[in-house]
Amino acid sequence: MSFSCREQELDALLAGELSPADAERVRAHAQGCAACAHALAWLRLERGWMAQRARRMPARPALDFSALEARLASAGARPTPAPGAAPHRAARIASPRSQWSHRGVMAMGAAAAVAFIVFGVGQVRPVSSPEVPWSQEVLVSGMLQACVDPSGEAVAALEDRFSACLIASPALPEY
Amino acid sequence: MLAAEDEAPEAREGERALLRRARTGDPAAFRALFERHAPAVWRFLRDSFRDEAAADEATQETFVRAHARLTTLRDEDRLSAWLLGIARRVFLEARRARGVFLDVDGEESEGLVEAVLPTPTPEDLLLDRELEALLAEALGHVREERRSALLLRIDHGLPYEEIAQVMGWSLPKVKNEIHRARLQLRERLAAHVGGRP
Ligand SMILES: [Zn+2]
Repeated sequence: MSFSCREQELDALLAGELSPADAERVRAHAQGCAACAHALAWLRLERGWMAQRARRMPARPALDFSALEARLASAGARPTPAPGAAPHRAARIASPRSQWSHRGVMAMGAAAAVAFIVFGVGQVRPVSSPEVPWSQEVLVSGMLQACVDPSGEAVAALEDRFSACLIASPALPEY
Repeated sequence: MLAAEDEAPEAREGERALLRRARTGDPAAFRALFERHAPAVWRFLRDSFRDEAAADEATQETFVRAHARLTTLRDEDRLSAWLLGIARRVFLEARRARGVFLDVDGEESEGLVEAVLPTPTPEDLLLDRELEALLAEALGHVREERRSALLLRIDHGLPYEEIAQVMGWSLPKVKNEIHRARLQLRERLAAHVGGRP
């Protein structure tokens, strides 16, 4: 495979999708290519921003399983068992389709209503426990334990400074 | 939701085991899958609708459908893409039901010369409140289909082939649209990176 400054290959490099040989080749090229270094900086920025944005998910009623459970129960839904699979005892009864487009109000469990708290931008919750509403400020949170993937020394140093994980890409050598 | 590449093999095996249990009707397993994937599905739908309440409803609908069709999922490793594909269909149906056929997002500038963009510094990585709002605004200026394709890649970590399936596009179109989305986003955000005060 030839390489001629293709952003998609740099993107695949950051995503950990290249074979070791291709990764090494792309990395070696990027080290000496200003255009690729520039593109990599943007790609890394996008990934870092998206990772932080994903961690700042507001607590929404739709993310409470009890809301879905109520809806499945009212629809009498359960999956069609796979051929040869033994149905689970606790399973509910089947329903082919819900009436989503005709339903004005979502069937919400009481617990979901109680759990519905709106959080402001700038708050964060650890990735490892998505069901726990986040309530800590982004830069002073205990997110460090969820940080497994600083993608370079510069980023790692910045993360140390802020005690926060800023990027979610796989660990990569510095270049 | 993480890309398969980002996950440890044990995590992937754990998810496969959950999926197998969920397919036999084990509610606890389905709940575990919901809790793991619902935030990403909701985020994808929020970004598609640009409306949190609509994303709530559509997330629930996505998992109601997923629950009913779990046994039709062929490749257990593609659960994320499968769920996002259902979410995409739910979004399109809802949009059609609302009578919205045209994407009325902001005007687009094409033919951007990338060389004029500043190079981001590590300091730019910190997404503060102001920048997050600017990012949301910039995403809003990318037309919906293109934005969804971009987010499937940079937020949800899907490989290009899976994005092609979710969007119903050819692979070259996926690559082209994502590239254009990136350029549009960068153009909008260029003033805020590379030596911000
Ligand atoms: Zn190059």
